[in-house]
Amino acid sequence: MNKLFTVILLGLLFSCAKDSDPALDKANFTRIYDNNKFNGSYFPIDLKQTPDGGYLILAERRLVNSSFSGTYLLKVDEFGEFISELEVPSNQVAPIGPLLEADGKYYFFSMEPGNYQTQLSEVDLNGTVTKTTLVGGSYPSAAYKDNSDGSFVLLRYDNTTKQSVVTVMNPTGSVSKSMGFTIGAGDGVEEKFISHFLRTGRQFPFQVGRTANGQYFFNGFYNYNFSLVFSSLATSNPTGIAIGQQEQGGFSCVFPLEGNNYAAARFNFGDNYLLPSATINSAGISQIVDLEGNNLLELSSNAKVKVINLPLNAKSVILFASNTRGKQISLFGYDRTTGKLVGSKYLGFSNSYEIASLTSTSDGGLAVCGTTYVAGRFPRICLFKLSKEELAKSFK
Amino acid sequence: MRKTAIIFTISLITFCAAAQGKKKAGAFNGTKNKVSANQFLQQQWWLGIKGGINLAQADAAKRYTILTPTNYDASLLDKKYDAFTELGIQTTLEVTYYYKGFYFSFQPSYISSNFTYSNQLEWVNPQNLTESLLQTYKQTQKVEYADLPFFVKYDITGATLRPYVQVGVFYSILINAVKTVAVSSIDQASGGTNMIVNEPLIVGAKDLFSNYWGLVGGIGVAYQLGNVRLTLEANYRQSMSNIVNPLNRFSNDRLSGIGDAQDDLNLKNISISAGVLFPMRYLSNSFKSNDR
Repeated sequence: MNKLFTVILLGLLFSCAKDSDPALDKANFTRIYDNNKFNGSYFPIDLKQTPDGGYLILAERRLVNSSFSGTYLLKVDEFGEFISELEVPSNQVAPIGPLLEADGKYYFFSMEPGNYQTQLSEVDLNGTVTKTTLVGGSYPSAAYKDNSDGSFVLLRYDNTTKQSVVTVMNPTGSVSKSMGFTIGAGDGVEEKFISHFLRTGRQFPFQVGRTANGQYFFNGFYNYNFSLVFSSLATSNPTGIAIGQQEQGGFSCVFPLEGNNYAAARFNFGDNYLLPSATINSAGISQIVDLEGNNLLELSSNAKVKVINLPLNAKSVILFASNTRGKQISLFGYDRTTGKLVGSKYLGFSNSYEIASLTSTSDGGLAVCGTTYVAGRFPRICLFKLSKEELAKSFK
Repeated sequence: MRKTAIIFTISLITFCAAAQGKKKAGAFNGTKNKVSANQFLQQQWWLGIKGGINLAQADAAKRYTILTPTNYDASLLDKKYDAFTELGIQTTLEVTYYYKGFYFSFQPSYISSNFTYSNQLEWVNPQNLTESLLQTYKQTQKVEYADLPFFVKYDITGATLRPYVQVGVFYSILINAVKTVAVSSIDQASGGTNMIVNEPLIVGAKDLFSNYWGLVGGIGVAYQLGNVRLTLEANYRQSMSNIVNPLNRFSNDRLSGIGDAQDDLNLKNISISAGVLFPMRYLSNSFKSNDR
């Protein structure tokens, strides 16, 4: 009887809440990085987890005296606590992601506001810009780190030749390859480029990368349409094109899987489709609108979509992140093997939340970075850290 | 609901006490029986009910925040916990064993407590200091627990009016929790001073809290009325473990969306209860427990 009583008593005591512990505090947190300046505005672009467990966030900031956005770097620790910020001087505007990692340093492209020329900046893991190199060429639009040879691939718009240009360079900014692809004659497409850069118009999901078989691709304007263009960069004639419908239809993002298989999201006159597995012909011409997919009606019109491969419980999950009409960040997970939905999760409430970027973390969890509008009006950077256990509950 | 519970409890106590008070003493009090009565009265079981009100205060053991300042002092965001401002209620079933001057009492209770805290956020245009927004977040947290306390009680004197002291340990099992967040703003950026008061956000918050244990001590007085005892007591309860569930601190999107993360909390509670106790052992139908 006494033993039974002791067991019950101990059971009750151990069922009390545990005090917080550092492991738990690192695994799960939500942060909103606030600045008390009434007219301060911050829009994150990308985040990377640094070797110290913390996070480095690249963002745009509002400039009072410029039509372009300025550059902002934020460093936080593994608990999401603020470490440092850097308001990069206003001679570096319109920064683009993702943050490119090479030799323990981080790099990003931005633009010189006077002549729109591209610059490559080197950042240490504390978020300090240590070097900026003029790369040349106008209007940087998207970037990619090619892990096969360590090079950086840049997509930019050349306003003199009216071309989408793909350039390959090393981390010092030395260009090894470059090729331009016409956007089409006339000013119609250029207007869309300029309004994208000035943030006065639609934000297009420019993207550049390289497939598993070594072909370069970019998601951008080619011959009047927002298309996915494949090339070896040997000639200005693409080897393959998945054609969009002017600016009304195209890919929101693509993620190469194996061969001609991609995880992708596409938009079509405001609708959004998630394709956990799509076959795209990189050696011929196809129409993006012909690709089927899961029509997500809850996503906002022409929603921004990010996709990563998330290792979770001995399986791979294709994880899409996007924005809902209800102003939340939505996560949709699909089994990489079967293409079946394995779960969804929504982040944020009350104030508006918008996705910027997401990355898997060293502890098997997930970090999601976005913009929230504090008090319904101040754009600020938010960071959600989800533990492996929490992800496993949402994506089974 | 709270008023109904209080009225019901008071009515029940009054009714039971009045009913007991009408009984007349019988022939038991004869001298020849007092020796055996003394032995008999060295132990007794009491059964009773009581109810009352309480005031609670939470203290932050470790502070957490979602809003993380980049250009001002983080302490400006600290939540300010109010001291014993909101009324709660409790009802208790009491089972007490008396043995040689001490009472050993198990008093399972339903206890509903409310505590409040607030914080403020302010944004100012450094180029135009009159352009500003001040937001005040006022949070009322209601927590409902099933308490399992064990007391040791001692009568200071043994007269008809018996003051007593008691100490104990309790374990609280979470039943429910609800949070109400009221946001008000003073907006001086819209061409004047604009006072904005939004409808409160009411959110189920059970996942944010947990079971806990604590210590309790109190004083009271019992009045012998016929065979029953009327009691009035005040207790102070102090949690000894975190009442918050750290696993779910950030899991409530409705709260984290507006920047609220629950601190690790200790809960303090002052309660006042009135009740009635009935003896369970009688020598005869005419026995009066206040004979000894």
